[in-house]
Amino acid sequence: MMRNRFIDLPLAAVAVLVYVSLYLPILLVFLLSFFSMRRGKVNWDTFSLSWYAKLFENDALGGALWNSLLVGSLAVAAAATFATSAAILVRSRPDRHSARLLEYVIFLPFLLPPIITGLSLLIYFREAGVGRGIFTITVGHTLFVSAIIYRIVLTRLNALSRNLVEAAQDLGATRIQTFRFIILPNLRMPLLTGGLLAFALSFDETMITLFLSGTDATLPVRLYAMMRVGFTPTINALITLLLGFSILLTVAVALVWRRNADSARKSYREGRT
Amino acid sequence: MAAPDADSRHEVAGDRTPLLRIRGLGVRFQDFEAIRPLDLDVLNGEFLTVLGPSGSGKTTLLRTIAGFQQPTAGRIEFDGRDIADLPINRRPFNTVFQDYALFPHMTVRENVAFGLRVRGIARATRDARVEDALGIVELEDLGNRYPTQLSGGQQQRTALARAMICEPRLILLDEPLAALDATLRRQMQKFLKVVQRQSGITFVFVTHDQSEAITVSDRICVMRSGRIEQIGTPRDLYYRPRSRFVAAFFGASNILEPCRIESTGEAVTMVSTPFGTMSVDGPLPQVREGLALAVRPEALVPASGDACNRIGCEVVSVSFVGSETITELRHPQTRHVLTMKTRSNPSARHPAVGSHLEVGFDAAACALVTGAQE
Repeated sequence: MMRNRFIDLPLAAVAVLVYVSLYLPILLVFLLSFFSMRRGKVNWDTFSLSWYAKLFENDALGGALWNSLLVGSLAVAAAATFATSAAILVRSRPDRHSARLLEYVIFLPFLLPPIITGLSLLIYFREAGVGRGIFTITVGHTLFVSAIIYRIVLTRLNALSRNLVEAAQDLGATRIQTFRFIILPNLRMPLLTGGLLAFALSFDETMITLFLSGTDATLPVRLYAMMRVGFTPTINALITLLLGFSILLTVAVALVWRRNADSARKSYREGRT
Repeated sequence: MAAPDADSRHEVAGDRTPLLRIRGLGVRFQDFEAIRPLDLDVLNGEFLTVLGPSGSGKTTLLRTIAGFQQPTAGRIEFDGRDIADLPINRRPFNTVFQDYALFPHMTVRENVAFGLRVRGIARATRDARVEDALGIVELEDLGNRYPTQLSGGQQQRTALARAMICEPRLILLDEPLAALDATLRRQMQKFLKVVQRQSGITFVFVTHDQSEAITVSDRICVMRSGRIEQIGTPRDLYYRPRSRFVAAFFGASNILEPCRIESTGEAVTMVSTPFGTMSVDGPLPQVREGLALAVRPEALVPASGDACNRIGCEVVSVSFVGSETITELRHPQTRHVLTMKTRSNPSARHPAVGSHLEVGFDAAACALVTGAQE
């Protein structure tokens, strides 16, 4: 390809503009969690960790963060169990109408507008006499994230040779042994990826949670509530911490993936020679 | 219709008893009959090949025996015991799959040990037996590799060791060599045969490759459209096909037709063909309609004085193809073309094209066949 500076330069400018507009706000939040700002200028002399200290004193935010982590973990665990069972069931009878129906039922909450899911659950729980709280939020999130885990697990199951299950049974394995020794070890990566994705979705889910939370708000709901009454720089500290946490998580996943890909490539090369 | 062939069973049975006895077994998928009710005996210690083109029902038959497919009719007995209701994991035999189905997250050693592990065999016994099995398939040095680190032949041998580890009396093999290249496939054919002989395990082997079937089998069961077309030794099927289909499946044949039985003697049957009256020895087909006489190209030879079946022909072409020389002949009256395959001989003179040549074949080197070819 011929390089043309008349095209390259504007392209580079657009790229810079895109990146700046994407990352400048984040950078600003990061800086503001350490420094104070006057008339649009960062005052570099005011470095302090006081916002972080305030964050940890602020029970409302800390509690909300804890709620978010708790709901996320519970919802991911429940959804992983449910979605894996469903995927194995669908996979074992792919031509049955009941399997199709089950698949549809799993995807519906993901595709429905959250406001409808949230509202229906709210009405249901009220009629059933279940008080709003961590439990109701977890149920809502489980419904919502199951589809993601289901899809990822099913893709992996489809890639696995169907013969593996037959081979295991042929060698004398019971259904439970087949699941434990053959299926589960092959689902480690998809469950990890699906779980992380589901956790991220659960973490910033707002609409369904809004309907289902009583006094136990999750982080996004709490932040939303705080925004209405006023703005406190503790939020900058909180977002910076979350940002650091997400980056760490992403890097960790990337490393695990790369190790897997490396060993696959290595074994492929060794197999060739 | 598909009653097992009394002759061929007699030939090999001797003192051997059937290990697997299949009676009236049928498999139907909605309105498609994958297997029409058939009978089959697998003898103890034999290498039986189920041979057929794709769609002939051979793999369905194997999967039904293994338990992956439910029969819609008939019964399967193993060692005198009906196994119809036995779940897959409790059937006393193992399978080698077409794609090997090795567990990708386990090493060779773990793969081989799997059958013992799920039976709760103690680790020490397990390890010893795994080493033995790896020794048999010559994979002692590769025990710690993962399946993706193995070549096709090594994967194949791992699958075999895994199927043998529980010392089954019967192993089912579903086209295990299909994925290998030609050279490796020939090596593995020999290897399978040796392992089968030495272990004494009965093998039921499915393939669509007739030369493979001839190489490895004690007996071959030819299937077509869900039916058993013929069962017999490789030699039987090659020289004594009973249908045009079997004759064609094992290579080219000269088909002399129409053909009519003139007289049946003690051993020899006289049949009239467009080429004259010929004598055939061997069993007569039950069906007498649409008969033809099948003669292998290499059974045709330039006639010497004592050949009992002779045909006078005109030489159309002679082609030298290395170890063999192929001569095309035309019968002057009927315009039928015959093919003769002879061993090349550096000092032999080829007959001139257009010249007259008398060819003959032995009464034992031809067979009466029936049925359609396709």
